[in-house]
This record gives sequence, structure tokens and C-alpha cells, in this order.
Amino acid sequence: MATNTKSIGIANLPNQTHKIVSRKGTTFTVMVVGESGAGKTTYVNTLLTTTIKSYRDHSKRRDALSRKTVSIDVIRAAFDENNFATQLNVVDTPGFGDYVNNRDAWQPLVDFIDGQHEMYLRQELQPHRDDILDGRVHACLYFISPSGQTLRPLDIETMQKLGSRVNLIPVIAKADTITPKDLAAFKRRIRDAINAHNIRIYAPPVESETEGVSERNQAMVDAMPFAVIGSEDDVVTPDGRTVKGRQYLWGVSEVENEAHCDFKKLRNLLIRSHMLDLITTTEDVHYEAFRSEHVSTDGRVVGSVARKDAKFKEEEDALRRRFAEQVKAKEAMFRQWEQKLIGERDKLNKDLEHEHSYITALTQEIKQLEDKLNKK
Amino acid sequence: MSLPDFRQRRGGKKAFQFNMIVVGASGLGKSTFVNTLCGQQVIPRRAVDDPSQCAIEKTIAINPITVEIEEDGMKMQLTVVDTPGFGDNIDNSSNFAEILGYIERQYDDLLAEESKIKRNPKFNDNRIHVLLYFIQPTGHSLREIDIELMKRLSARVNIIPCVAKADSLTPKELADFKKRIMEDIRYYGIQVYDFPFDEEDEDEETVEENMELRSLLPFAVVGSDEEINVNGRLIRARQYPWGVVEVENLKHCDFARLRYVLLSSHLQDLKELTHDVLYEAYRSEKLSKLEGLAEKLAALHVQDGSY
Repeated sequence: MATNTKSIGIANLPNQTHKIVSRKGTTFTVMVVGESGAGKTTYVNTLLTTTIKSYRDHSKRRDALSRKTVSIDVIRAAFDENNFATQLNVVDTPGFGDYVNNRDAWQPLVDFIDGQHEMYLRQELQPHRDDILDGRVHACLYFISPSGQTLRPLDIETMQKLGSRVNLIPVIAKADTITPKDLAAFKRRIRDAINAHNIRIYAPPVESETEGVSERNQAMVDAMPFAVIGSEDDVVTPDGRTVKGRQYLWGVSEVENEAHCDFKKLRNLLIRSHMLDLITTTEDVHYEAFRSEHVSTDGRVVGSVARKDAKFKEEEDALRRRFAEQVKAKEAMFRQWEQKLIGERDKLNKDLEHEHSYITALTQEIKQLEDKLNKK
Repeated sequence: MSLPDFRQRRGGKKAFQFNMIVVGASGLGKSTFVNTLCGQQVIPRRAVDDPSQCAIEKTIAINPITVEIEEDGMKMQLTVVDTPGFGDNIDNSSNFAEILGYIERQYDDLLAEESKIKRNPKFNDNRIHVLLYFIQPTGHSLREIDIELMKRLSARVNIIPCVAKADSLTPKELADFKKRIMEDIRYYGIQVYDFPFDEEDEDEETVEENMELRSLLPFAVVGSDEEINVNGRLIRARQYPWGVVEVENLKHCDFARLRYVLLSSHLQDLKELTHDVLYEAYRSEKLSKLEGLAEKLAALHVQDGSY
């Protein structure tokens, strides 16, 4: 093979690519999952430095509570920075984890993610596919409640379901509730739980040719799950600086202070350094995985219909297993209650016997008195 | 505030007794609160669980622990019932019955004891005098589990709602949160212990005190297992990079007020309400059920013609 020592200008391709990409712009979709009050809205607004997501309308809270559903809300916004246009979508999941019974709360989330993959697939298989609407979720932020202890069953189950379908990034919001020492231990316990349950979370590539970037990336990975503080308000610190933060009576916690929280690291991950990787992983890994299961060899979508057949058995088995477990648990509980009731019933029976013998004694007395009266 | 002088030693040898139960989701600082309240490590630090076990759904445990503490120079026996596991599962519907069952069993024990001809002089009265309910500091309003728990238990026990980990909220957030919680409590018809007073019967000072306490509800709680050096003094506090939250500082949280209410000023009132109102209500309900049953049985017998 001949090697050419004279440059012909092929090395200019990346610059051309840059121009093409810049012109096209991009779509970026982030899903936020977590209990109400976990800090999702504030975080999203802090990240995008604008009130893109409206804060909770408290006057409507009682209707929401009575409906007991998990819904999907998509907020769309167009960003233009330095002539680069981005269609940003934020997918909210109100109702998740908010009820006494949160069984299967993850189902609407999974259905949405799979649904977006399917929608893209169908468009892609069309003869004309110049204007594909891409709603595929590129990143899913799972907000862990800052309990300081460990992950709960709902967290584990939901993250397992999400991790296999989307780039899952666990986040601890309201990080200014936990002291630094407790936070380090909390993060460790979460990582242990994630490993113990084989939850797949997004792992950003660390190695980079640029100096210093590898170290930064490693620091990012080491800090996961990210602990963040959210605030859109400007406050003044005791030493006179104006920052985005939260003002308490005992001090000011700052959003962009790396000693206070990991906000900057997460922002870098989502936007500044790894946004492209999030997009490409979604396309190359998650979408491809979905595609391979839902496209037949002759190029047709074996979509929702076939999905039900293939997955149906798997879900049916899982359901059967779960029901068996639930029945066992309920039976054990009923047996306990039965014992308690038996105890109570025996006590009541004894009391009844008392009363009964008393009544009998009285009745006897009455009879005797009556007899006496009659004899007279 | 004057030392409560109506305190008497009942039953001669027994120290003053007070029973409370703490309810709330894991990680809301209930154990830390109890330890802070008693000034000693009553509920041990939670052992590090096996990470592979955290997905398993468990039933809640009911753990009573008794300690002797000294308050205002008087010794008292405080029993704290911890309820780990509440609200932790995916489906928490059975949590309420467990806690209600425990409270009612203590009433049953006393009921059985009272019906005995020969009573046990050493009978331990384990009736719960107050339930502290810890609300997650979401900053929004009451969640379904909060409403359900308080609604179902308010007829059987004095409930004092508290905002847990109150140092997660700024002063304005806390004020708005408290307001919405009380609105929800009124809306759902939940009866909480709201420092009742009779304007005609009691003196102005007591009336004012109770009105003020009522306005503080729900109590903003912060607890700490550690003592930090602040201006030369060693006090219970939480140390953040941006400042120190002092547990006993009334500007930082309501802990000190709550402790005074529970262990001094309103201890007697809580016990009396439990005995004179809540226990009596339970007793009449239970006995009328018994009477009803007896009547039905008697009616059946008469029908049989066995007399």
C-alpha cells in the first residue's frame, strides 16, 4: 500500500464535520425520576439557569394525591448558544414513589423509554426519513432520597429496570442535608448496593488524550453518585460574595462550590464534556439493543405486538413468581392475625361464659321467686 | 417557666413513667432525635446492613426501649418505642395496622387487668402517651403515607407531628411548609395534639403558652449524636462546611421546646388525655361490642327455648 507523505487536506474533515453538526443542531432528552420533593425541579432549573420547569402548584396538591398515578410530562425548550441550536427535552415523572403503595411504579417509565425507541425505529424504517423526530432518552437522572442510610427496595427495583435501557445516572439531591462525613459513607453504601444488585449505571469514559482531562474524568467517576444542591436564587455569603445558593441562619450553602456539592461535576457530565458520549451510547448501545430485539430479519418491525409475545412469557413468569411471594407474605401475616384473633376470641368467649352463667343464675333466681309467688 | 409542682409519685416506689412511640420513614433522624432527647445513646447506631439485602421488603419492627433519665432534678422512666421499617417497602399498606395493633394491645392489657378481681400491684402500664410522627422535609406538603398514618391512629393516641431534619429547609421554606402541613391536617380532619386549653378555666400565662406552642406545630426537629466546639462550649450540633446548626438553639430549630413539652410542661396533660379520653373511648367501644355480642347470643338462646 502506498503511503502518501504529502497532505491533501483530508485532515480538514473534522472541521467540516464541525460545521455540519453546528448547522444541524441536536436534540437532547433527559428524564428525571424521583419522589416528589426530592429536588428534581430545582435541580433542572439550576442546571439550565432558567425556570424551564415550573415549580409545584400547591393549590392542586389534593387532586394529585387522590389520583394515585405515575404520569409522564415532557417539557420542551429550544436553546441557542453561540449559534448552536439544541432542542432540549426534560421528561418528568410526577407521582413516582409518592404513594403508600408504589408497586410497579417503574412501569410507565420503562414504557416511555421503550416507546421512544420504537417510535424512532418505525420512522427509521420508512422510505422517507429526512425529518425524524428523535425523542429517545439520552440520560436518566435517578434522584435518591437523602436519607443518609442506603437504597430502598423501590430504588433498587426501578434502577435495575432503567439501567438496562437508558444511561442511568444516580443523583443525591438536597445534599446540604447531610454532613460531609455522613455523605461519604452514604455514597459508599449506595455504590455497594448498586454493585450487589448488578445495577447498570452510566460509566463515562475516563481516558482522554488531552492532559488533565483523564484526571478530571476519574475524579468525576469517583464522586458518583453525585450529591447536588439546587438553587436559582442569588444570595450573599458571609464573606460578601454573591452566589447561587441557599441561605440558612447558620450560613450559605453554595451550588457551584465544589467543597459543598458535586453540581459542577454533574453539569460537566451532562453538558460540557460528556453530552456527546451520552448521545452516542444511547444510539449505539441502548437503541441498538432495542432494535435487535424488535426488527425481524426481513426488515419489519416486530414491535409492540411481537413484544408482547416474546416478553409476555418472561413477564408472565416474573408475575407468577411475584404473586407466589406476595401470597406467602400475606398468608404469614394472616396467620399472625389469626393467632391474635383466636386469642381475642378465646378471651371474649370466656367473658361471654361469665355473663352467660350470671344470666343463668339470675334466671334461676327469677324462676324461684316466681315459683314462690305462685305458691302463695 | 415554673417547675410543675403537680407531679406526684404514683404507686409509691415507681419512678415517674412516660411512654412514647416514634414513627417515620428510615433516615429521618428518629434514632438521633431520641438519643438527643435522652442525652444518651438509647437507640444504637444502625448496624451496616449487608448491601445485598436492601432490596428485601420487611415487616416493621416494634422495639420498646426503657431508660432512666433525669429532668428538672426528677428521675423518670422513659419508654421509647422505635418502629424501624415504616414506609420503607414498595407497598406499605400493612404498616398502619401493625402500629395500631401495638397501641391497642397495651389498652387491652390494662382492660384485662382492670377486670380482674385480684389485681397485680406491680402491673406495668405500657399505654402510649404520645406518638411523634416524623414528616419528610420535602418542602411541599403531606404525603399519602403521612395522611393515612395520622388519620388512622389519631383516635387512639396523642399525635404530635414534627418536621424531621429541619435543617434542610431555609427559614421561609420551613414556614411555608409548616403552614401547608397544618392546612392539610385541617382539611383531612386529622386530630393532632394541639395543646388544648380552656380560656375560662386556665390562667393567662398557660393560655398564651399553649397558643404559642400550637402555632409552632409541626415542631421543626434537628438531632445530633455529636458534640461540636462552638465558641468554647461543647454542644450538640451538626457541622457543615458552611456553618454549624445548634440543636438547642431556638432560632435554629424547635428541639428544645419539644423536649420541654414532652418531659416537663405537658407530660401530665398527655398522660391524662391518654387515660381520661383515649383509653376511655377504646374501653367503651370494646365493651359495647362485647355487650352487643352477648345480647345477640342471649337472643339466640332464647329463640332456642333453652330456658
